[in-house]
Amino acid sequence: MATISLTVNGRSISLGADPEMPLLWALRDSLGLVGTKFGCGGGFCGACTVHVDGAATRSCTLPLSRAAGHAIVTIEGLANAPAVGRREPGVENALHPVQRAWVDLDVPQCGYCQAGQIMTAAALLARTPNPSDEQIASAMQGNLCRCGTYMRIREAVKRAAAQTNSGGAR
Amino acid sequence: MSAVSRRMFLRASTLAGGGALFSFGWIADALAVQADPGAPASAGFRPNGFVRIDADGAITIWSKNPDMGQGVKTALPMILADEMDADWARIKVIDAELDRAKFGGQGSGGSDSIRSEWDLYRNAGAAAREMLASAAAEQWGVPRDACRTEQSAVIHSGSNRRLSYGQLAASAATRAVPDKPAWKQVSAFTLMGTRVGGVDNDAIVSGRPLYGIDTRLGGMRFAAISKCPVFGGRPARVDERAARQVPGVLDVVRIDGHANPTFLQPGVAVVAESTWAAFKGRDALELEWDEGPYRDESSASLSRQFTELAAGDGTSVRQVGDVARALDGAARVVEAYYEAPFLAHATLEPVNCTADVRDGHCYITGPLQMQTSGAGVVAAVTGLPVDRVHVQMTRLGGGFGRRLLSDYAAEAAVVSQRIKAPVQVVGTREDDLRHDYYRPAGARQFRIGLDAGGRIVAWDCHLVNLSRNAYRRGATPAWSTETYGMVAGVSDDLEPDLDLDLVPWHIPNVRLRFSEPRSGVSTGAWRAPAHVANGFAIETLLDEVAQLAGRSPVDLRLGLYGAARDLRIPGDEPSPYNPDRMAAVLRLAADRGGFGEHPPEGRVRGLAAHYTFGSYCAQVVELSLEGGNGAGPAARRTVRLHKVTCALDCGIVVNRSGVEAQAQGGIIDGLGHAFYGEITIDKGRAVEGNFDRYRLIRHREAPAAIEVHIVPSTMRPTGFGEIAVPVIAPAVANAIAAATGQRLRRTPFSREGFVLG
Repeated sequence: MATISLTVNGRSISLGADPEMPLLWALRDSLGLVGTKFGCGGGFCGACTVHVDGAATRSCTLPLSRAAGHAIVTIEGLANAPAVGRREPGVENALHPVQRAWVDLDVPQCGYCQAGQIMTAAALLARTPNPSDEQIASAMQGNLCRCGTYMRIREAVKRAAAQTNSGGAR
Repeated sequence: MSAVSRRMFLRASTLAGGGALFSFGWIADALAVQADPGAPASAGFRPNGFVRIDADGAITIWSKNPDMGQGVKTALPMILADEMDADWARIKVIDAELDRAKFGGQGSGGSDSIRSEWDLYRNAGAAAREMLASAAAEQWGVPRDACRTEQSAVIHSGSNRRLSYGQLAASAATRAVPDKPAWKQVSAFTLMGTRVGGVDNDAIVSGRPLYGIDTRLGGMRFAAISKCPVFGGRPARVDERAARQVPGVLDVVRIDGHANPTFLQPGVAVVAESTWAAFKGRDALELEWDEGPYRDESSASLSRQFTELAAGDGTSVRQVGDVARALDGAARVVEAYYEAPFLAHATLEPVNCTADVRDGHCYITGPLQMQTSGAGVVAAVTGLPVDRVHVQMTRLGGGFGRRLLSDYAAEAAVVSQRIKAPVQVVGTREDDLRHDYYRPAGARQFRIGLDAGGRIVAWDCHLVNLSRNAYRRGATPAWSTETYGMVAGVSDDLEPDLDLDLVPWHIPNVRLRFSEPRSGVSTGAWRAPAHVANGFAIETLLDEVAQLAGRSPVDLRLGLYGAARDLRIPGDEPSPYNPDRMAAVLRLAADRGGFGEHPPEGRVRGLAAHYTFGSYCAQVVELSLEGGNGAGPAARRTVRLHKVTCALDCGIVVNRSGVEAQAQGGIIDGLGHAFYGEITIDKGRAVEGNFDRYRLIRHREAPAAIEVHIVPSTMRPTGFGEIAVPVIAPAVANAIAAATGQRLRRTPFSREGFVLG
């Protein structure tokens, strides 16, 4: 056991835990942030994707010892993440443009992978606001969807990009 | 033939499991939750178990069957809301708890939810609407017929007076529930047929708790279970000392298993304070196994069994005419041998369940596909009476047939019972892939006889397949779950065969035989069970026959379908099979997909069609091939999918977005498993343990475009959660044959040198 200090969704958190424990389980079991999903435990499916200092990262293979001291954003904090800064003033629980596009296009089927898909897409758009089809495919390749929602995910990433580029209005 | 249908099985299984019928009359159930005169006004107007209207106009609808991505949590309430003329924007949907009195039998399987709950949800909505409208008419002193309903309000047409459903809730609650409330005309639907987003979408994209694995109870423990890696084995010696040393580990529990291996498998559970500690503790167990009789089984030994059995006589399932004589007299005989591997379900939410056994009751919260039969399984393994097993369903992170079984609920229940605390049992991906109830592997030997004019005069099929029905100790013959989609031929006693989802084609001599291999591998239903493997073989064989006979694949199929007529399906009387609907989707797909026209330079097209669980589907794919020159890895050919055109008839469309999503997703699912899906067996165990080896289709490999064309219909809705899956693989294989001349006779295609690009 060790005391680990993390910044999760803008909050400083300190917890006593096995430093080998992947960040995923600290989020789900210790902090009650169950939006980040367990899919494979090996970094193959992307269901557990979070942002670590803005980069899409697989939390199921990231030991707490290596997450310590970094800024972590989960799906629960995406809409309010400071890096996004597109939240309309005074609106509670606003959705990030990527989340909004996912709802508008009715992307989810079972929905279990979608938090990870959204985190990957949001990281892509933060870096590459106007991605090509190839850049979308390349960025999203690590996120599996067992239901096969890839067609709508493709469209939703493009829609989110268009809306972000037009000033974030929604 | 003592044929018991899939649908009848659902009933029978729920009877055996929980004593509840799957099918039931609406009125008894809807009346069961009458407005309680003693209830406080805040309880609102709840004319039946399915809907409640509050005084402020808020409407709550209970979705009785679980949503695993097929969209019933949105579609079932849409049926009720449309029939009731409710304002969809004010509706909240709740996952129903298991409650036979309110909801009847509960579960999702066989693409059955919409078609089996259609009457129930329409009647529930119509009854509520009638009670509200009558209450308004009485208040105004006008005839009921002078009032209309729209957007959660009753309007007096003459005076334009208006009362909202919320204002009427209290008086409506005092009225009698109508016996036979009149339904709206299909043309009057305002919600059904439109595209409605999933009711859980906001929660999904925001990461709010929804799934079984998100369940958190006070004092809850976590557990992971070690099972014998060899199918049919069990723990022989357990040394739990090292596991108990792992920080966070609280207990070790031995599980004996149940005589029915689909109820509970033997194993050793490690209970801990966190999921991670449970995984680490489980890994620290020192175990020796009794590997049982199947320790030497392998994919190669199974393949040998398949070929040996296929050469034998098998058990006769069906005979029409005289196949042997017809084959002797045929101008040409086409022989083909097909093989299909085990497939894993790989639901992205791994198997898990939460149970709390206390005070003589068991409270289950989790991703069950079948709550009613699941309660029966939990009762069987805990010894509790079934009426003391309470099930709260959650959203499912995928089902695909895996969660038709309730073994994970049984595991959670027995562990909770032993440790006397609430517990969540979680499987790792390796547990999931290596201890699944797989799509049964098998082979199909065909001999097709053609006359001089290229017409099919003999159809001989010997199906050699593991049987999920035998594995689950079902009462009906082993073949009864494995022949779905097979060709029956036309005769006078057609109906019983259709009930087994056999296809009534115009072929004068048909024989279907079955042989069951010996294997320890656990098997179950996999999305469009049996249809995927059988449909692949039949639809590629038809394409080959058409080519050999110099006939159009469209015309060949139309001739086999025969004339329009309604054929009754026992157990599903409201939705007869009609060959005309099959012909219509075939023509529509061929037309929109440009089949028979010249494709662009370098591209080829392939066609296939299939009937699954009441719905009709045909698809045309357009693809091109790259690579393939030279030997070794260079011989691999990359398939680029430019377009898939899907024509679908599932009767009335409830949620257009949902149907289109199932078509798109079903095609992508079918593609991924056709190209990559295979669980291999070695030394009696499953080899693939994670997504590095069990390859699923990824973003880049999805088709460039999928067009979905839905036949407009006023027929009762039928299932659409599975229909798109069996059609895509043969359509692709037929296109590959058009390009290369190579006939693919087994999946995965990657083993034959074809990958997606």
